[in-house]
Amino acid sequence: MSDNENRELTAEEQSEVDSTRRFDLRRILGGLFVLYGVIVFITGIVTIGGTDELKRTGGIAINLWTGAAMFVVGLLFFLWDRLSPVPAEDILHSEKLEADEKERDEAEGLISDK
Amino acid sequence: MSTALIHAADSGIRLDLQPVDYVMLVIYFAVVIGIGFIARRRVKTSMDFFLSGRSMPAWITGLAFVSANLGATEILGMAANGAQYGIATLHYYLVGAVPAMVFLGLVMMPFYYGSKVRSVPEFMLRRFGKAPHLVNSIAFAVSNVLIAGINLFAMAIVIEAMLGWPEWTAILASAAFVLVYITLGGLSSAIYNEVMQFFVIVAGLVPLTIVGLNRVGGWGGLMDAFNKTETGGKLHAWAGTGIGDVTNPLGANWLAIVLGLGFVLGFGYWTTNFTEVQRAFSAKNMSAARRTPLVGAFPKLFIPFIVVVPGLIAAAVLGNQLAGAGDSGLTYNDAIPKLIQMYLPTGVLGVAVTGLLASFMAGMAANVSSFNTVFTYDIWQRYIRKDRPDDYYLKVGRWVTVIGIVISIGTAFIAAGAQNIMAYLQTLFSFFNAPLFGVFILGLIWKRMTSSGALWSYIAGIIAPAVIFVLYQFNKDWFNGSDIAETMYGAMISFGTVLIVGVAISLLTKPKPVSELTGLVYGVGKIDVTSDAVAGDTKWYRSPALLGTGALVLCVALYLPFL
Repeated sequence: MSDNENRELTAEEQSEVDSTRRFDLRRILGGLFVLYGVIVFITGIVTIGGTDELKRTGGIAINLWTGAAMFVVGLLFFLWDRLSPVPAEDILHSEKLEADEKERDEAEGLISDK
Repeated sequence: MSTALIHAADSGIRLDLQPVDYVMLVIYFAVVIGIGFIARRRVKTSMDFFLSGRSMPAWITGLAFVSANLGATEILGMAANGAQYGIATLHYYLVGAVPAMVFLGLVMMPFYYGSKVRSVPEFMLRRFGKAPHLVNSIAFAVSNVLIAGINLFAMAIVIEAMLGWPEWTAILASAAFVLVYITLGGLSSAIYNEVMQFFVIVAGLVPLTIVGLNRVGGWGGLMDAFNKTETGGKLHAWAGTGIGDVTNPLGANWLAIVLGLGFVLGFGYWTTNFTEVQRAFSAKNMSAARRTPLVGAFPKLFIPFIVVVPGLIAAAVLGNQLAGAGDSGLTYNDAIPKLIQMYLPTGVLGVAVTGLLASFMAGMAANVSSFNTVFTYDIWQRYIRKDRPDDYYLKVGRWVTVIGIVISIGTAFIAAGAQNIMAYLQTLFSFFNAPLFGVFILGLIWKRMTSSGALWSYIAGIIAPAVIFVLYQFNKDWFNGSDIAETMYGAMISFGTVLIVGVAISLLTKPKPVSELTGLVYGVGKIDVTSDAVAGDTKWYRSPALLGTGALVLCVALYLPFL
């Protein structure tokens, strides 16, 4: 595996890698948490004066804290995705593995039934 | 693995959701469907559909491993146990789960992943042949579709109580969501949603725990509240578990906890239940597969702080109202919904409700995605329609998903008609894992174990605890009168039966030649755990031995404040 680490990817392989990375779960989670963070934080600003929120929570502005924390966590997911994207080698490797497994399954129909 | 949800529909846990809370709910489920469509583009073969093409990194499979278990019955049931039995509920995590996860990662996964089987029943086939494989496949398929129905029903009751949706609307709506995203993207959809669900439920339960602790005057205030009443026993995990001197709220001695709950029930559930193990099978290589349960063990260690602690807070604040006193209409299962209602304002409320609904749904999706794999590969392909091209099985898998969900809706309505059998069903199904674990562990360490030995000990191991269970219904004073203790003894009896019957019959029948057992029995052949390693697998913090040891050390450490 390690021998192809440095070689140039073909256009087809590059697009495979790009499309896998575009929908990395960390980006989806990052987006969801940033969005939720903003919604919860704004809700906190809007409601904190006019409702019994502080009485319920015993004085903690829970919407502001939770909103801010979720926002930061969301950014951390993006940062993680940026700092260590899925190695191209892994993405292409799993494609190859599939082909191997398919071969094995076909052979298996003949040998594993006793 | 937990107590069931039996619930009055008109209970006092109705939540007051504002439009902004519903917006968050809608966003979440839009993302879920979106993930289904994204995952679909990558589903080209049946392996993509059933095992995510074995492509997932360990952090994803590890979180999915924990999350697949974090359904309605688990979250609400464990909070209920926390409220009812107190700190002793930690046993379900620290004795009943984490050691088994470590064992799966360190000892069993090399056999599973190394033999390239696609399901746990298929391992049974490799090791023992067709007869036990067929029994195992059918038992798994039937029990899983029933459990999916029970999960669906439990979820519908809670949704009805919290949001006021009619039960049948909740059942059909959640079934439709699961149907869409599993049929589209298969296991990848299920796993991605389990990971998302994990983070959202944590984001909902952490604020709940913080506010709850704040309201009872912090940890010290919580302790004081229990010490003032006679329920001080709830603050200790191991006190009162002496044999013959059982005074702890669980009603079980330390031997039953360690052997019954920990060794047989815990190991049985976490190491042989394909719904769990399937997450590791989808990992990209041996290293990631072994790390799946180990990565999962760490969040599992800390989940009690946001599930059991709220249960304790509810017990301190609501006292005997949770047992239904004063026409409260509450049960222990309402601990978390009631705290959400009392403490969380609009905003965080939406996050918490989204997390709960997501986790309920993910629990059911986990059942469905393992059911369709076993039915398609182990029953349909093996015994009914062999040797078809791969896309035929992909198509079958999608149809089996649809059929499985339709049957689940049916079993949900059966469960709705007979609410009080739910606790018993949970108990019975947990017994399916105990004998399977007995058969596997014997087969793994003993190469003399035969196919007939496996078949008959497995069947005897299912019958024995069922008999004990029926007898217990007529003699409720057994096992200190505790249903929980009964499941622990039942599991031990099942395991013992498997050992005795398995050894006896194996000695009388002819074993498989050793040459056919390579990689399936401990010490026969060598499993190469590094041949498919990629760069980065050798980093010190990815060492399975280190992760496993670390998890076990934390297990012990977390008990220390609560002996």
